[in-house]
Amino acid sequence: MSARVTGGVRPAVVVALVRASILTAFQYRASFVAEMVVGALSALGMAAPLFLVYARVPQVQGWTLDQALLVTGFFLLYNAFVAGVVEPNLGAVVDGVRTGALDYFLIRPVDAQLLVSFRRVAPAALWELVGGVVILAVALGRLPTPTWAQVGLAAGLFFAGLGATYGLWLAVTCLSFWFVRVDNLRFLLGAITDAGRWPVSVYGRALRLVLTTVIPVGLVSSYPAMALLGRIDAGLVVGAVAAAVGSLVFSRLVLVRALRNYSSASS
Amino acid sequence: MSRPAPLGSGTAARLWHVVRAWPALQQVAFSGMVAYRAEMVIWVLSATLPLVMLALWSAAAADAPIGGWDQLGFTRYFAVNLIVRQLTGAWVVWELNWQIRQGELSPRLLRPMHPLVFNLAETLAALPFRALVLFPLVGVLAVWRPEALFLPSPSVGAAFLLSVAMAFFAAWSVQAAFGMLAFWFEQSMGFWSAWFAVWALCAGYFVPLDLFPAGWVQLVRALPFYSTLGAPIDILLGRVAIGPTLAVQAFWVVALGAGLGLMWRAGVRRYGAVGA
Repeated sequence: MSARVTGGVRPAVVVALVRASILTAFQYRASFVAEMVVGALSALGMAAPLFLVYARVPQVQGWTLDQALLVTGFFLLYNAFVAGVVEPNLGAVVDGVRTGALDYFLIRPVDAQLLVSFRRVAPAALWELVGGVVILAVALGRLPTPTWAQVGLAAGLFFAGLGATYGLWLAVTCLSFWFVRVDNLRFLLGAITDAGRWPVSVYGRALRLVLTTVIPVGLVSSYPAMALLGRIDAGLVVGAVAAAVGSLVFSRLVLVRALRNYSSASS
Repeated sequence: MSRPAPLGSGTAARLWHVVRAWPALQQVAFSGMVAYRAEMVIWVLSATLPLVMLALWSAAAADAPIGGWDQLGFTRYFAVNLIVRQLTGAWVVWELNWQIRQGELSPRLLRPMHPLVFNLAETLAALPFRALVLFPLVGVLAVWRPEALFLPSPSVGAAFLLSVAMAFFAAWSVQAAFGMLAFWFEQSMGFWSAWFAVWALCAGYFVPLDLFPAGWVQLVRALPFYSTLGAPIDILLGRVAIGPTLAVQAFWVVALGAGLGLMWRAGVRRYGAVGA
């Protein structure tokens, strides 16, 4: 079977995809409530080390508690995106490569990347989203109010960071087209991106460079926080946007390449 | 389905049976691990969270030590943390959950040996892989921070090994217990996630427990979490009295093991009732 990526990208398709994924997700309402507890606990667990650190020292590498909480808040939002959208969909791609179920998507006249990336959502991630919003709100309430321009810049940087990290997840997922045996590579990526929960300045120079370029999780948590604090400069903004565009284009190319290689489980 | 028929009579006979079969069990489990070696290595490498925590604490202690911990102390703590976590790690919660829900437990119940013995053999078979990955990690540490390497006295070393062994059994029992929740709940992995969130904080995975607020330290050390991870680290680094710490661990190993046995009996009866 010859696979191609491109196809129509009509708004109606996107709406239908989102609708279907939400309907699928809410089949299991009981576990949704149980997962609320898990979400609250993991949000607390993420912030707890910060409270223990700042009970002993007033600031770490130029970040106070409230400022560092901004980073953790953005990291929780990113985590919600990964757990809610990226992981369930790209995990299904890996399974689809192994079982051959991926064929069913490739024969549809819709862009394959769109179809495999936004087909389902995991509603449990909503609680991490809530946790992130609460932490951001509490931290912002105790910090000087940012200007609207700063808020806009922070939001823009956050979405650029989401784009950059989504590209990386997609590229890593595509590796499973060649190496079916390492279908858990994305869990390793998840473990490494855990580094994004603290401000990038707590890491050494080399690691900081990695976290803002190769594994751009610093972009999605630290940069928006720095924008809200008025600590970002034009160079970093340009770099973040370049990283997002570069990552998205690169991952698209990898996907096209991977699908060209894909021989399907049935033929 | 009826429970497995005991071969021979009495606990001693059954125990002897396990001892005789053990080499074969290990070999089978080990071959299974070898088949998935690439995946194994990736799973093991995914346990990098202590290093992320080290970065935060190390940055915080850059100017002055925090509560008796300087940067070198934190480096040692989280390096040993990484090692103990690997040596006491298991996947039995996911394995049991899967086996119970998919009915893969049924053939295991037919064999003339307790099914949990198989799970234990599988966990132990993974240990060489976990240890193998630790060598490069410790090697990197030796190059990056050679001053962090240290040699414990023989008695502390022996106490550490004993403590790691008890931490292994305590952690394994907890995982197996959460895996067995699948007997009662269709989607039980959420319980494990909740436990992990509390455990990470109270076991010393995120932070040395003596950095907790003063009144909390003794309480948190008495809870089961600490016995599964923090206790051996603190023993090796000379942060706690060895005797009492080992005693608390021994208590939890016995208590958790007994609880596991009770849970298994109740669970298997229920498993039979579903008609699996």
